[in-house]
Amino acid sequence: MFLTIQNPQGVASQLDLRRKRLTKMTLIWGGIILFIAWCVSGTIIQDTDWSRIGGRNGVLAGISRYFWLDLNLLPELIIPTLETFMMACVGTVLGCFFSLPVAWLGAANVTPSKTILYPLGRFLMVLSRSVHEIVWALIFVSAVGLGALPGILAIAMRSVGFISKITAEAIENIDAKPVEAIRAVGGNQFQVMYYGILPQIYPVVLATVIFEWDINIRRSAVMGLVGAGGLGLLFFRQMNSFNYGGVSMVILAILLLIVLGEVISHYLRKAVI
Amino acid sequence: MTVLSVTGLKVRYSAKGPEILKGIDFEVKSDDFLAIIGPSGAGKSTLIRAVNRLVEPTAGEIILLDHNVCDLNAKQLRELRRNVGMIFQEFNLINRMSVMDNVLSGRLGYTGNMRSLFRMFPKEDVDQALYYLDRVGLSDHINKRADELSGGQRQRVGIARALMQRPKLLLLDEPTSALDPKISREVMGLIRDIARELKVPALCNIHDVQLAKEFCNRIIGMQDGYKKFDGATETLKDSDLEEIYAMEVL
Repeated sequence: MFLTIQNPQGVASQLDLRRKRLTKMTLIWGGIILFIAWCVSGTIIQDTDWSRIGGRNGVLAGISRYFWLDLNLLPELIIPTLETFMMACVGTVLGCFFSLPVAWLGAANVTPSKTILYPLGRFLMVLSRSVHEIVWALIFVSAVGLGALPGILAIAMRSVGFISKITAEAIENIDAKPVEAIRAVGGNQFQVMYYGILPQIYPVVLATVIFEWDINIRRSAVMGLVGAGGLGLLFFRQMNSFNYGGVSMVILAILLLIVLGEVISHYLRKAVI
Repeated sequence: MTVLSVTGLKVRYSAKGPEILKGIDFEVKSDDFLAIIGPSGAGKSTLIRAVNRLVEPTAGEIILLDHNVCDLNAKQLRELRRNVGMIFQEFNLINRMSVMDNVLSGRLGYTGNMRSLFRMFPKEDVDQALYYLDRVGLSDHINKRADELSGGQRQRVGIARALMQRPKLLLLDEPTSALDPKISREVMGLIRDIARELKVPALCNIHDVQLAKEFCNRIIGMQDGYKKFDGATETLKDSDLEEIYAMEVL
């Protein structure tokens, strides 16, 4: 039996389209695969010291050095762990304070000047996030010396980006009606913000700050790698003295601290929302 | 006595945008309960917001309580706004605050920043708030959050807030459009009674002609940015209404 095609030209053009699409897909995927292969060759294949690895056993031996705990380190762990926690808390609070003016500048509907200060606010948000916390810490260590203070400043600077961006977006999305009401009763700029805007953005901002605090515990744990206090410093010292059991102890402490932060922030977030 | 006098008022929101008000003249006397009626888009809300400069007038003169509104600087404007109570279509309450704090926010124009920060209002303001909350029938809901109330109750909070200002003029922007007919009548009645009690004139946007006739002594009819009618309620004829609400033929 023959199937007769009623509209041979139409079918031909559809087939042509189908062929073109398939070619396009093949080219795109082929390009992606080539790109990844190029990356792999540039990094893993050419940039690894293959002779130093020394086979499968060498790798396993390297890793297995960490599989024991140096319990003698325990008394020395307590204070840095506390310090790490405190750095995260103070850094977050300080970050909130820095975020307020930045959010104010960078929210299109409340910024004092759309042409100069709005772009400045947006720039500060990007700056805060694009510089890594370790880099911030390096800058502050050279500015204020070793210890927890540069760590706190670094965490604060790094927190500004996210907190102020979310806050600015919350301000941009507020309902204008309460603001109108406060203006109508003769309220000044501060009262408009405090009564008209703040109650509306408060839950979003608080949830963001809790989230940021959770992340800051992680950040605070590595600050010591560049001399900015906390568990990282202890980690660095254990690593330098090839005390791999001590390194594992510090990692365990960090892990416990992070789990604790996770649990606390879970309940805090529940309380807020 | 004239409380508010408006002459040649024009408003456009942006330089290239359409003219919303195209030269409006009217007066509000101290015993007026004045309705502004007209179809949607006639410029009623813009008109009422131009009176206390929530919307900036483009041209014309507004004399409110012996001040030329357009000439005031920011501080003088805030001081003048304290004397003008405003009630809104969507209530414009602060949803996450309590009924009490919402009512007290009517006193913000008289409250310093430190006191506002801690919501520490003077005792006489608190007493007055309690009195007005009782007057509008919300004594049992003082500590509830504003968003827990029904529409009618929320508008009563809005009324109490406006009264806290001890206003010399009330601006009502469609105070009943978000409410059902029965509650609308109650709310309008309450506003009228209180306005009479306190001897405060009111300027009221309203699209429900029936309500306007029932509660207001004077009516202004607007259409497309122009005033089409201005007179005592009894003088409003059906032919006037037809003209105000006539469909625009393009």
